[in-house]
Amino acid sequence: MAVIELKDVSKLYGFGNATTLALDEINLTIESSEFMAVMGPSGSGKTTLMNLIGLLDKPTNGSYTLDGRYVSRLRPNQQAKLRRDRIGFVFQSYNLLPRLNVLENVALPLAYRGVTPMRRLQKASDTLERVGMRDREYFMPRNLSGGEGQRAAIARALINSPSIIIADEPTGNLDSGSSKVVMELLADIHRQGNTILLVTHNPELTRYANRVIYMVDGVIVNDEKTAIGQVARGTRRTYYQKPRMSDDEIAEGVSVLMREAPSIALKAKAKGRRRRKLSKRKYRQ
Amino acid sequence: MISDLKIALSNLRTARWRSFLTMLGIIVGIASVVTVFSLGEGLKRQLLGQIDELGTDLITVRPGKLVSRGDSGQVDSLNPLALLGTTTLSEQDVIALQRSSSLQAVLPMSLITNTARSSNEPNREINDAFIIGTTAELPQLIKHRIPYGEFFTAEQQDRNYAVIGSSVAARLFNELNPVGQSVNLAGGDFVVRGVFEPFSSGIFSTIGADLNNALFVPYDVAKKVTQGRSQIFQILVQKKPGVGLESAVASTHGVLLVTHQGREDFSVLKQEELLDISSGIINLAAGFISAVAAISLLVGGVGIMNVLLAGVSERTREIGIRKAIGATNRQILQQYLMEGVVLSFVGSLVGLGVALAANFLLRVYTSLKPVISPSIILVAVGVAFAIGVIFSAAPAFKAARKDPIDALRNV
Repeated sequence: MAVIELKDVSKLYGFGNATTLALDEINLTIESSEFMAVMGPSGSGKTTLMNLIGLLDKPTNGSYTLDGRYVSRLRPNQQAKLRRDRIGFVFQSYNLLPRLNVLENVALPLAYRGVTPMRRLQKASDTLERVGMRDREYFMPRNLSGGEGQRAAIARALINSPSIIIADEPTGNLDSGSSKVVMELLADIHRQGNTILLVTHNPELTRYANRVIYMVDGVIVNDEKTAIGQVARGTRRTYYQKPRMSDDEIAEGVSVLMREAPSIALKAKAKGRRRRKLSKRKYRQ
Repeated sequence: MISDLKIALSNLRTARWRSFLTMLGIIVGIASVVTVFSLGEGLKRQLLGQIDELGTDLITVRPGKLVSRGDSGQVDSLNPLALLGTTTLSEQDVIALQRSSSLQAVLPMSLITNTARSSNEPNREINDAFIIGTTAELPQLIKHRIPYGEFFTAEQQDRNYAVIGSSVAARLFNELNPVGQSVNLAGGDFVVRGVFEPFSSGIFSTIGADLNNALFVPYDVAKKVTQGRSQIFQILVQKKPGVGLESAVASTHGVLLVTHQGREDFSVLKQEELLDISSGIINLAAGFISAVAAISLLVGGVGIMNVLLAGVSERTREIGIRKAIGATNRQILQQYLMEGVVLSFVGSLVGLGVALAANFLLRVYTSLKPVISPSIILVAVGVAFAIGVIFSAAPAFKAARKDPIDALRNV
């Protein structure tokens, strides 16, 4: 069953000459209990896509259906409620509130749901148990290691039992050991039936996903199903088989993914050529 | 709601200095308003006590038309400027009143302010002393005891005798009982004949000044000091037993209307009406001072708004996080409103504490007896609450309207 359905979704920022097209007519259907990794160079629209799906933002054009409900034109308060009940966010920088202790941080989404304080803390404690952080309940966020902070953030995302977890580079600030712990945790949550959207730059992490999409300049250029436990083919090709960057390219600050959007990059080129042809034809007429 | 409160309190705690400075305006405002009103309330209670002491059968005649009366004779409005005019009462009025059959005693009081000196030690002096010329019936009329010595009698009207208030005794002679010593007033020496028991209310309702600071001399002698012109600032009238108060007032009024040729340039007042007048003046003064103090409340409110606005920009990211995990605009609004209300509420409590301390010090070190009534506390706290809501509304709306994405991007 499709949980998320995007049809011709575009997002524009700014206006006049400064308009940027962050998403260009995206069509995307995400099935329930998919673990989807989103890859692509910086500025390719990954985060914008996640914000739209997470109802933090509204598309400029196109329609978004969440669980069969048309949600692209909801009022901010209705969005907030859906966000609270259906979606859990995990951010790169954990985003725990520094003045609350771990337990209170995890319990916070329940407060916005109107759950009584005792129940809220009880449930937060149970959720912390689930991520193996029971013994850190009364720590302040600044006293946690990076991995612990991210696990607490995951507990907070989980506490309302949302069907969708959106993780925007959750391991971006973590060392490899902590990354592994966090990713195993997400994999575990996925096994229990949640849909997980993971934005990442690290091709190794596509091992946890069963679907990988690549984005370049607001367009999905590749979309592949992959087996859990294996690095996705397109990624493998890009990172391990294509020639490395030349020194000049490194000096120019061009990343592999910027130069080399796998396989579909060629299609995109073709598309561009066709467009140019079309416009020429128009010009002649 | 409760978690909002907890968040607000913890925000207050983490920024103690800032919170305190923010609250300062509210603290000062509430403390001064409450103190001023408690002083007024205290004065009113003292006046009330005085009237109980004096009894209600005393009628006071004052120059000028102090009050306007409604159809049934009740006091409608007050004209405090009439207190400043020159006197319109004369000895003819006193003589005419003394002839009235319904009145038992009629007592003129004239007022001179002058410097009083101890005759033996001329360097001891009181510059703000006031000298009241009156007749022998005064102690009996105002029912006040003279523990040392006695009041001058009707036969001693032409003698240079003075009966003094207790603080005059202390300031001029430095003793409780200076009877027999002499005091220099307006160029003449007066023998101290007696000392009044301290007047319980520092400020006597019928004069509006501290009678403990007064020297009472015979009316005729006082007249001589002012070159034969009498300055009667009030006439005290006592009705005969068996005559109704209302009819005594009416006959006094009638008599005076005749001697004044039909012009009503005087006021005949019962004790309760005097109280009304005095409390009216007190309310006026308290209201005026409070209006000034209220400006401090306003400034305090603006301070709260300022700090909350700064807090909104400072905690933009926090707002973003809260929204991302499902806070609605309304819940963010509530959180910031709560913070403003807590600031002003705690400020008002501290202000009340300061007012209580000020009250205590006033009671210990002055003769004033301020009273903090429950109603003024309620009003103060209510006003602080309102200020909190009003001035935190703008920052709270600003916080609630923040776009979650912009807020999250903010580092």
